[in-house]
This record gives sequence, structure tokens and C-alpha cells, in this order.
Amino acid sequence: MTIRRLVPIAFTGAIVLFLLAPLALCILFSFTTGPNAAFPLPGLGLGWYRALSDDPQFGAAVATTAQITLGCGLLSTLIGLSAALGLARLPRGAAAALLLVLCLPLMLPPLVLGLSLLTFFNAIGLKPGVLATMLAHLLFTLPFVTAVIHARLVTLDPAALEAARDAGASPFRAFLGITLPVIGATIVGAMLIAMALSLDDFVITFFTTSSNTMSTLIWGMMRTSISPSINAIGTGVIVVSLAVTALALHATRYRG
Amino acid sequence: MTARRGTLATGLLLLPAALAFLGLFVAPLGYFFVQSFWKASSFRIVPDFQFDNYARVFTDYGGALGFTLGVAFMAATVATTIAFLFAYAVRFSLGRAGNVLLVIALITLFGGYLVKIYAWRTILGLDGILNSALLSTGLIAEPLPFLLFNTGAVIVTLTHYLLPLAMLPLFGALRDIDDSEIAAARDMGAGVTRVIIDVVLPQIRPALLAAFAMCFLLAAGDYVTPSLVGSPGGAMFGNFIQSQFGLRMNTPLGAAMAFSLIGASLLVLGATGLALRLGFRAR
Repeated sequence: MTIRRLVPIAFTGAIVLFLLAPLALCILFSFTTGPNAAFPLPGLGLGWYRALSDDPQFGAAVATTAQITLGCGLLSTLIGLSAALGLARLPRGAAAALLLVLCLPLMLPPLVLGLSLLTFFNAIGLKPGVLATMLAHLLFTLPFVTAVIHARLVTLDPAALEAARDAGASPFRAFLGITLPVIGATIVGAMLIAMALSLDDFVITFFTTSSNTMSTLIWGMMRTSISPSINAIGTGVIVVSLAVTALALHATRYRG
Repeated sequence: MTARRGTLATGLLLLPAALAFLGLFVAPLGYFFVQSFWKASSFRIVPDFQFDNYARVFTDYGGALGFTLGVAFMAATVATTIAFLFAYAVRFSLGRAGNVLLVIALITLFGGYLVKIYAWRTILGLDGILNSALLSTGLIAEPLPFLLFNTGAVIVTLTHYLLPLAMLPLFGALRDIDDSEIAAARDMGAGVTRVIIDVVLPQIRPALLAAFAMCFLLAAGDYVTPSLVGSPGGAMFGNFIQSQFGLRMNTPLGAAMAFSLIGASLLVLGATGLALRLGFRAR
């Protein structure tokens, strides 16, 4: 093997290691029996997970997060599917332009979005809580859901749909019978992406929630201490997010 | 008749997304912008039209703004450069193994923003993973104190978070490059560096700017990373913005700070776009 082949392999390998090592170490030290995350590891056990499951705050945060994540996933998938179907009926240029406009919120720092939502919700009397956070998360999940479903819709052959319409099917029946079965996996994938994004968010959640979610709970714990029980929660977040992302990449057939 | 019904249906399908966009983005941001001209006096916020808030941003927080733009520029440059080299290697020299590496890199995209910052804190801390590992192997006798709580740690942590994000547009753009063009340049004797500078980079300039802009804006607005791994004195602009919404509750000043940050960031990005245009011309 020549140097020319070796350099790219060594470089990309090092980068992947850089990306994965912190996550792997976080997982490793969640199983430590010691009081902090440091070598040498005294032993492996589930003590920190037990400490976590005994913490009533943790259970409450999981319940709040589940409501927000599921609600936001469903809502943004419904709205995004509808928008993608609408965009697919427009000329390509117009659809691309509208999609770009919809993506504008992704161009702003979450801090600015979070604070503007906090101020606005305050002004219109929407109290911080699960509903406010769910709505706020639509802001950054909707562009992804719409773009992913729209990208799949424009690859469909319109002939089958026209045939169904010619045979007398209503637009709704034609959608249920022809379009939905083909784009079903993409819709599921898009919903999983929305849920992964919602789960991952801290900044916007912080300004719109009234009770702890997983991310604000981790934030509170991080501010006050460094304890392997944060590693245990972190491991949970990593495992769930990675699984959801892997499933989403698989379902939407994203290949780089 | 059918054409009009078709337009109506398209409009109805787009309506929910339009309402969400207006209600969650345009209206809140517009209201926030209007507030940046209001006045806060003795814990009450009074509608007004004056530029005092903006003037205060530059007199009181000008240094923090400049520092933040510098850190964001560093993090975005490092992340975009590494992401480009990674995507280039995956696209042109690794074959099937490259796709596996790319998928692994992208899977870390949503691996938990806070968890990543926390992981770096445990790695770089005084009695953290890196120091304890070096101590127990005998490579150092005393823990290294300079790893955490400084700007370097902020840039490493930000780069770790931004890298997979920057890879997305860059790999997408590299995929569309014609292999035969590269082969032709190579056949005429151009080295790898020449091919990258003269053939590849000019073609992917929009993606390069998109990746850089995304990294820059996220880094410039981040306040969590500096407050957890940065130096106590090295607060970034986001920390100051956020503190206007805590005890002080000076929403108008906070809003003016937020829009100053966006304005200054757009200037930096405009200059970067211009520099890329001048630097990487197709030959």
C-alpha cells in the first residue's frame, strides 16, 4: 500500500475517531463504579443507572420529553406532508424558492429564535409548557420534514396517479391508494428526523418549557456537578438519537 | 373551473405550513425587532422608537461582539476545512469504505448537543479522562491544567459539534463533480493540491459558503459551550444576550444585541463569500 492510499485512510479514520470517541467515552464512564469519570476504571456496574431511575425528577423529565417529541413529530409530519404535496403541484422553480423560504429559520442561531419566541409567546399570553415547546420545535423540524417528503414526491411517476384519477378516483382516494404506499417509508423517516431534532434541542426548549425535559435536566445537572449519572442520561440520549437517526437514514434511503 | 379548484387545493395544502411559518417565525421575529427600539425603565418595558439600545451594544459590548465573531470564524474555518478534506477523501479516494465512514460521521449529527459538550468537559477536565489517562500511563507527573476552561476548548467542542453538519452540503456538492474532469487535470500533470484549488473548489463554492455560514451562525449564537468549557472571563456574546433575559429582564437591549449579532455576522459572511469568489476562480 502506497503513501498516496494511506494518507486519506489515516485522515478520515482520525476524524471518525474524533467524532465518536467523546460519545464512546461518555457511554463507557456511565458504567463506572467510581465517583467520577476518570481512569483507571475501578470497575463496571449499573450503579449510576440505578441512581437515575430512583430520581423522581428523571421520570418526570422523560414523560415531558416524550409528550413534546411525539407531539412535535406527529404535528410537523402532518403539516410537512401537506406542504410537500402542495409544493409538488407547483412549478419546480416556485417550489424550490418556497422551500428555501421555509428553511430560513435554520439560518438563525437557536438563541435568537428561542428569545423571539419567548417574547412573542409572552405577549400573546401563551404560557411556557408542553404546548409552547411543541409549537416552537415546529420551527426547525418543519423545513426538514417538508424537504425530505418533497424530494421523494418529485421522483414519483405521475402516470399512475393520472390513471387512477381517470378511472374516477377522488384526489383523496388516489392519494391513499397510489401515493401513500410509495412514500410511506419516507414519511416515517421524516417523522423520525423531526423527533431526533426535537429530542436534541436544548436552547429553544430552555426558553419555552415550564417543567424539566431531558435536555434541561441535563443542563441543570451539568451546571451543579460532574457526576457519572449525567453520563447515564447522556448514554440514553445518545442511544435513542443514534437509533432514530440510523432508522431515518435507512427509511428515507439517504445515501450521502 | 378545474384550474381554479386546483389552485385552491394547492393553497389549502400549503396553508398549515404558511400559518406555522408566519406565527412562529415572521411574527415573533418581527415583534422582537420592534422591541429592540423600545425602552426599559425600572423593570418596565415602554414602547418607543430610539436607537439607544443599539448604541449601548457597541459601547458596552463591542469587545465581546468582536471576540465572539473571531471565535466563530475560527471554529467555522476549522470545521469547514476538515469537513471538506473528509468529504473529498470519501468521494475520490476511499471507494466503498468511504461510504461507511460517511454514514458513521453523519449518524453523530444528532448525538445530543448537550451530551457532546458534557463529554468534552469530562475529557479535558483537571481530573478528567485525558489527564487521568496520561497520569496513569506515567506520561505526565502532574495533571495539565490548560486543557479546559479556555478558548481552545471552546473551539474544539464547537468543531466537534459542527463537523458532521458541514459535511452534508460539501459531500452533496462533491458528488456532482465529474470524475473525468479531474482525471483530465491529473493526466495533464496537475498534483492533488492544484486539482483541488483549480478544479474542485471553484465548482463547489456555493456549498463551501453554505457550510461555512451554517457553522459560523451556530457558533456565533452559541452560549452553552462557552459557559461550560470556556474561560470564566471569556463569555461570548450569546452569554450577554441571554443574561438580558434573566434577572435584568431588559428585553429591548437583548433584542438589539441579537439583531446586532445577526447584522455583524452577515457582514462577515458577505466578506467571506467575496473572498471565496476572488480566491477560487475556475480556470
